[in-house]
Amino acid sequence: MSGGIFYEIAKRNVRIHLLRSSLAMLGIIIGVVAIASMGILGNSLVLTVSDSLKTVGDSVIVTPHVGGNTRGFGGGGGSATSLTLSEQDFLQIKRVSAPNVAIPVLQSSDRMQLGVGSDEIVAAVYGLNPDDIPDLLKLKEGGYSRGNSGCIVGSKFADDHNVKVGSRILIGTDGNKGTLRVTGIIEERGMAFDVSTDSAVVATKDWFDAAYNRNDYDKVVVKVKNLDDLPVVKSAIEKQMNKRDTVVDVMDTRKTMDTIFQAFGQITTFVSAIGGISMLVAGVSILNIMMMSVTERIKEIGIMRSIGAQRKEVMAMFLYEAAILGIIGSIIGGVMSLLGGYAISTLMLQNTKYLFVPSSLIHIMYGMTFGITICLICGIYPAWRAANLNPIDALRHE
Amino acid sequence: MSEQPVMVFQDVTKVYPLPAGDVTALDGISFQVERGEFISVMGPSGSGKSTLLNLMGCLDVPTTGDIFISGTRIRDMSDIELTSLRRDRIGFIFQYFNLFPLLNTLENVTFPLMLKSGKKADAERGRQVLRSVQLEESLYSHTPTELSGGQQQRVAVARALINDPDILLCDEPTGNLDSKTGAGIMDLMTELNRKGTTIIMVTHDQGIAEYSKRTIRIADGRIVS
Repeated sequence: MSGGIFYEIAKRNVRIHLLRSSLAMLGIIIGVVAIASMGILGNSLVLTVSDSLKTVGDSVIVTPHVGGNTRGFGGGGGSATSLTLSEQDFLQIKRVSAPNVAIPVLQSSDRMQLGVGSDEIVAAVYGLNPDDIPDLLKLKEGGYSRGNSGCIVGSKFADDHNVKVGSRILIGTDGNKGTLRVTGIIEERGMAFDVSTDSAVVATKDWFDAAYNRNDYDKVVVKVKNLDDLPVVKSAIEKQMNKRDTVVDVMDTRKTMDTIFQAFGQITTFVSAIGGISMLVAGVSILNIMMMSVTERIKEIGIMRSIGAQRKEVMAMFLYEAAILGIIGSIIGGVMSLLGGYAISTLMLQNTKYLFVPSSLIHIMYGMTFGITICLICGIYPAWRAANLNPIDALRHE
Repeated sequence: MSEQPVMVFQDVTKVYPLPAGDVTALDGISFQVERGEFISVMGPSGSGKSTLLNLMGCLDVPTTGDIFISGTRIRDMSDIELTSLRRDRIGFIFQYFNLFPLLNTLENVTFPLMLKSGKKADAERGRQVLRSVQLEESLYSHTPTELSGGQQQRVAVARALINDPDILLCDEPTGNLDSKTGAGIMDLMTELNRKGTTIIMVTHDQGIAEYSKRTIRIADGRIVS
């Protein structure tokens, strides 16, 4: 290929103007690092949040409708401040959700003491059927409570208050709601849409009913086995429960998560676009040095054309030059992006475990591809100009 | 067909349209060049020598009239065809040597060969041509700036010869050399012509023109003798 000699000339021209070429490449390096590091940071953010939410992405959560007609159904509430779901509501939800598991949830918050005479604290208290607890919560320590005197607690609750398996918790003011013995510590769940147990106490439904005089539910969580069924289950519940009036709100957690991730994705795109602006500036610098290169070599172009170089070959020579700047700049930028991504993840997320995952590394590829593409695009006009010089005028050029 | 002229000009006119009015650089020029001839073209500044050289080198096309290079009419050729014709049929030698500063001697010489073949340089062919212009082998890896004017012009001659052109077009080939070096280059030209190369040389130097066998003199865009 005669392309070989034109590539060689382009390579030597980059080398002979090393300082100028390096400065142009520096722009590309900065652009690639900006795009890739921002992308890596955004992706790491998404993965971090996604990790803390992934346990709740398979649920449909049914709560009493807020802001509408406060009663009509069940038998629980009656006032705007005590919206609940009745046993009958729960059974209807359970029936339309079958074979998926519907878990009724009772929740409150109360004062409690960790031993007689100790300081009072306030924490969330959940009441769940003992049979449902393993479907919803996983333990990192101890066992599930079967009897009404036992409870399990969230890991943050346990850490914060130095609670261990076997500890006793007095619920209510001076323990007036009773005493529960801790049988297990729940695995950390992070932010959750169904039950947020990290700082909570989870007791049995029967104990909860007795302690708080309740016979209704605050929400029903439907764990959907096949994630594709989430919309079907959601609409089946809505259809069943909201026949006449809107009496329940039904939330598909996956959809909510999708919205969250979409927002994070937009943030990532936005910050990467800011990085892209620096790449455009680098592109202008490439355009500038390519124009200089053409202007300096007008006579050389004239000689080439006069002795038989075709326009496309002259054009290719300058595009090779732009590509060399782009490829070397992008490769250096790609390597530095890993370092930049590492630094930015360490500083902002205190965590680098999402740096070497494909969805993060792809941002380096995006940055490098953008860098090379920008260089080629910015090389097109100078190359076209060189190729279309009149050989006679070019030969006369001094 | 082997006896057909390598170049024919038939009533060639070249007019440059300028804002101040058209300038007729060549006005009805007709001549032909037979294979193996050594012709010098002479004329004062502004007589149309450069325009004639551009037309002979297929760098430009006539306004009217016809030019044939080895029987090929160039008038209606596309830029790609004209470029290929320059590459395959014409060898150029310039006053200022015009070697590529980024390439060494051997690469400069084989450059047109690579353009023609589209392949990697045939270094042996390059060496062979460089030997024919009597350039020392030790200089083959040098860049043009490391060569003297005479050596550079020999490299330029070798580059012009590498594709076995039908015509060697020379523009003041000794204009930038001292008289002794210039004489060496002219001896080389004479030797090439003796071996069969057709040479057309534009010069304003009568002494150099005397190396040729025929002289075309132009003035005001016309052939005067």
